[in-house]
Amino acid sequence: MSQGEIVAGFLAPHPPHLVYGENPPQNEPRSQGGWEPLRWAYERARRSLDELKPDVLLVHSPHWITQQGHHFLGVPHLRGKSVDPIFPNLFRYTFELDVDVELAEACAAEGAALGLTTKLMRNPHFRVDYGTITTLHMMRPQWDIPVVGLSANNSPYYLTTEEGLEEMDVLGQATRRAIEASGKRAVLLASNTLCHYHFSKEPEPPEDMSKEHPENMAGYLWDMRIIELLRAGRVRETFDILPQFIEEAFAEVKSGAFTWMFAAMGYPELAGELHGYGTVIGTGNAVMEWNLVKAGLARAA
Amino acid sequence: MSIVCACLLPGSPLPYVRRDNPPWGALATAMEQAGEIVAACEPETLIVYSTQWFAVLDQLWLTRPRMQGLHVDENWHEYGELPFDFAIDLELAEAVIPATQAVEVRSKGVDYDGFPVDTGTIVANAFLNSADRYRLVVASNNLYHDWSTTHALGRIAAAEADRRARRVAVVGVGGLSGAFFRGAIDIAEDRIVRAEDDAWNRRVLDLIVAGDGGKLLEAVPAYAAEARVDMGFKHLAFILGALGDRYAGAEVHGYGPLYGAGGAVVTFRP
Ligand SMILES: [Fe+2]
Repeated sequence: MSQGEIVAGFLAPHPPHLVYGENPPQNEPRSQGGWEPLRWAYERARRSLDELKPDVLLVHSPHWITQQGHHFLGVPHLRGKSVDPIFPNLFRYTFELDVDVELAEACAAEGAALGLTTKLMRNPHFRVDYGTITTLHMMRPQWDIPVVGLSANNSPYYLTTEEGLEEMDVLGQATRRAIEASGKRAVLLASNTLCHYHFSKEPEPPEDMSKEHPENMAGYLWDMRIIELLRAGRVRETFDILPQFIEEAFAEVKSGAFTWMFAAMGYPELAGELHGYGTVIGTGNAVMEWNLVKAGLARAA
Repeated sequence: MSIVCACLLPGSPLPYVRRDNPPWGALATAMEQAGEIVAACEPETLIVYSTQWFAVLDQLWLTRPRMQGLHVDENWHEYGELPFDFAIDLELAEAVIPATQAVEVRSKGVDYDGFPVDTGTIVANAFLNSADRYRLVVASNNLYHDWSTTHALGRIAAAEADRRARRVAVVGVGGLSGAFFRGAIDIAEDRIVRAEDDAWNRRVLDLIVAGDGGKLLEAVPAYAAEARVDMGFKHLAFILGALGDRYAGAEVHGYGPLYGAGGAVVTFRP
């Protein structure tokens, strides 16, 4: 067996509005569309993912919050209906997915070896959160690639941001080791919004795009600064200012997915490809790709 | 006044799913005692406010005639499922929704199959309403609401109950001190993780029992900050709002650790 590797990482945010706007058969509510630029961004990301031919998708979601450790989906097949508690009017999705339990177990074991508390989620009745589902649906609506789902331990909120993100860094290292030992081609999905200031009222209908814009200018400027750095491959600089970005833009990257993904990839100073940016109920969302195959850092399929 | 009693309960699933563990079993027994006191007051409806039902945009209220399902806790999934099946007091919930406009809170009903009812609401219903005797009005915790908005929501819910001469028990579901053990512990040896939090919890419970509203309200901000109280103790704000800040007596039936955090079972006589 050849060594496994991470072939790409994507910043793949999870506003349920994107699923709602697309009207897939799995989602109950119907829309007249909306948020097209972001959905077209995901179309480009889908094509790229297809070419990468990964064996497994790993997704870290801020809407599976755990207090005691970092948890991993650990049931081979999960199905059910996931209703977003915040936007139940937009997201009532019947999901069905296969979990790469072997890799999830390996990630948990590597995390534990590095000193983290880790746990496998073995309950077959578990309802997968809407963050995990939205990111996976937007990246791969066919649902034909096994998944490793990681919870967001609340350490960045319970401890300081810096202490919490240090844990996410360790989680990323553990994830990388497990992938390398697995022999598999893995794609990492960081399910995070950037600036997270949002409107407190929903337009009627919610897909009325004449009402959609950044909630505030400072947050927008922060998003552009971060995206410019990432497009230029200035990753170290991005992480240097990340705590300030989190503080001032209320950025959802605080929950750790973005740090986990970059730690697993070894923080390559690699220009990210922006597939698109757009706001959802005022929050800033970028779909971005770091393709390690194109960069010569991973093998082509 | 149609509030016949009130109670404060912890929303952790641990006493429900692992009552064989002595520290958690004691809280389960205390919640059963609270259930007996509630039953003796013969309410028709329980108005439940749970810190674990997060809302962000509006103030949400369950408006599905019957909520049924099987919930698995996001963190404590290894201890099994939490089945639930309870009826909603639709008339009262639908009266409260427009009434919150009075304090400039936009409320919305939630009537969706598969809506994720939170662990705290399920646990409270399991201990207080296992025989399915009462209907529920269930209020979310909007993360942007402060103490006074939450207090006002409790007051408005109680006023609408009063207007309909509905006999109600008000139930605030949430924890006390919020610091917890982050890693594995011997659960039989569970304790409040920080001694200073334990002291704070006991002091505040004493103030609740003493019934000195002024001193209690004065202590809450420092308590909430220093002991990292679950959601700033807004579950107490909801109860006090419903009670009009006055009660004839309060009794603590149980107090103990929930993986290092604090939980207490308190009943209030209006
Ligand atoms: Fe989110």
